[in-house]
Amino acid sequence: MLRWKYSRPLLIAMTLIFAVLPFIGTNPLSKAGLQQTMAVAFLYGALALTYDLLFGFTGLLSFGHAIYFASGIYVTAILVNTFNVNLFLAALGSIIFTAVLATLTGAAALRTSGITFAMVTLAFGQAGHVFISRDFGGFTNGDDGLPINADRVPDFFIGVVNTKYLYLLALGILAFIYFAAWWITESSAGRVFAALRDNEQRVSVLGLNPNRFKLLSFVLSAALAALIGAGMLIVSGSGSPRYAAADTTIALLLMVILGGPVTRWGAVLGGFLYSVLSTRLNVLGEGTTFDSLPKFISGPLSEPAFTLGLIFILIVMFAPGGISGAYYRARFKYLNKGK
Amino acid sequence: MSTFLLILITGIGLGALYFLVASGLSLIYGLMGVLNFAHGSFLTIGAFTGLWISTKVFPNPTTWTFIAAMIAGGIVAGLFALLMEQLVINRLYNRHIDQALVTVGVALVVTALLAGWFGSDARLFPTPLWFMKAVTIGNAIIPIDRFIYIGVAAILLTAMLSILKFTRIGLIIRAGVENRSMVSALGINVRLAFSTVFFIGGFAAGVGGVLISVFSYGVSPLMGGSWLIYGFIVVVVGGMGSVTGSAIAAMLIGITNQFANYYLTGLGDFVVVIILAAVLLTKPSGLLGKVSN
Repeated sequence: MLRWKYSRPLLIAMTLIFAVLPFIGTNPLSKAGLQQTMAVAFLYGALALTYDLLFGFTGLLSFGHAIYFASGIYVTAILVNTFNVNLFLAALGSIIFTAVLATLTGAAALRTSGITFAMVTLAFGQAGHVFISRDFGGFTNGDDGLPINADRVPDFFIGVVNTKYLYLLALGILAFIYFAAWWITESSAGRVFAALRDNEQRVSVLGLNPNRFKLLSFVLSAALAALIGAGMLIVSGSGSPRYAAADTTIALLLMVILGGPVTRWGAVLGGFLYSVLSTRLNVLGEGTTFDSLPKFISGPLSEPAFTLGLIFILIVMFAPGGISGAYYRARFKYLNKGK
Repeated sequence: MSTFLLILITGIGLGALYFLVASGLSLIYGLMGVLNFAHGSFLTIGAFTGLWISTKVFPNPTTWTFIAAMIAGGIVAGLFALLMEQLVINRLYNRHIDQALVTVGVALVVTALLAGWFGSDARLFPTPLWFMKAVTIGNAIIPIDRFIYIGVAAILLTAMLSILKFTRIGLIIRAGVENRSMVSALGINVRLAFSTVFFIGGFAAGVGGVLISVFSYGVSPLMGGSWLIYGFIVVVVGGMGSVTGSAIAAMLIGITNQFANYYLTGLGDFVVVIILAAVLLTKPSGLLGKVSN
């Protein structure tokens, strides 16, 4: 067994340590700035895991996943602002709305498979992005983004001193998504997902309907993404069309490849690292770190996408499996030593 | 009536640009099964090369310098495509998902590289003065640039179809789209066909990039990404691997987009997605696509 026998206690211990750190003594996590960065990174870790459910576990390469995340953000914000719905009910409403949306679009897109499926989901995602950024019907406030009405958000989520509760919310969502992903992938439906990825023909020969299970995986990951979207709305305070852009889905793909697919913790680690790295690289790029270098090198280096894109290409070509893949290879070697 | 004609010809002109982006995508996918996300980068590279020719090399734009800019843009983009195929795609032989992923990485790197060198703001593309003129057909006033897009796309379509129809490599490409393993089983070198298809696709996208800079009045590192998505839609609607299918679908989508934008006030992009959904629901292999093998 490649799984380390203490991995579960370790995960629970890490969650608890992260949860109490902002509240005890003085440590880096007492600062609101880092708490905010970490909250966003936790949410991207969770979002990468929902994408892994689709891409890694079921083998569906979707380029439209971001639209369900954005749907969670925007439907929650619209319900709260325009229809005066309680924040938590609105989040629930956005999850239901997203599940219906994913059922409709997923059923149409799943008439194709493989690479065509990727293109079709990309087109659907793009339609959603256009819908949000052009402000059709006057719901989304277009390119300016849609701030949530702060009066209708509970007081303990408002203000810099309360950033630690946003941090806790994000950590809680991550823990919930991790548990949900574990429960889904270890369930019998999850076994069918993996079987679909490995050999779809075999699944249909066994008498199961492949499309029904693919749709189930698609809708589940979309609904979980909507939940994270509602969390992101509370943490960042507003929706923005860039959450719906194809670039966001591509970022999710990068996160999963970086951390390694099909291991759950790999996707979360990838999402967390990507989020922190792109924030840090942005700061480095805007600072003076690269100024001593010639312009033709310093220019691209100050664009995070350049560094991340290069890392991505190298991982796909030379280290498939990413960080978690490398870990399991090393562990496999260690366990087989002397045999 | 005059508005109708103007929208129709603008739609065909837009369709011509879509065709230049989509034809290469379709051939590359049809022959090799590679979903090429870096195709937008070919377009951007072509546009920047064209910009360099028409500002630095020949500072006074004339018809000839514009033609030179188009050809240079096509060649540089084609060579970049060839380089990418040799260095990256070839090493991931038959790993289709990884090939698609690696092209995503190339697209990110190229966009960031160009943004780092030239900044993200759009730069004006200088054109000969007569590009700004308009012609009168009946009582419709139609800007002349539309006819340039249509003319260039028609020339490239004819050239591509001739290569596919009358040359040996074209025969291998057509056979490879039909059944690649059979072609290699017969001892024919398919690798050469792969490189050809990448060069042709890159060339068309590069020329398209120069024309798109004229159409959208500027060159920016981000231009490739947004056109790529339309390219994908055209390829899916037209059918994978079919150049004629791409041409028909590009016209269909260009014209519908323009009419919907005018009569349905800016709903063009939605109507395009609805066409895509309708084609997928009735004929998932696309208009001229064959049954997938």
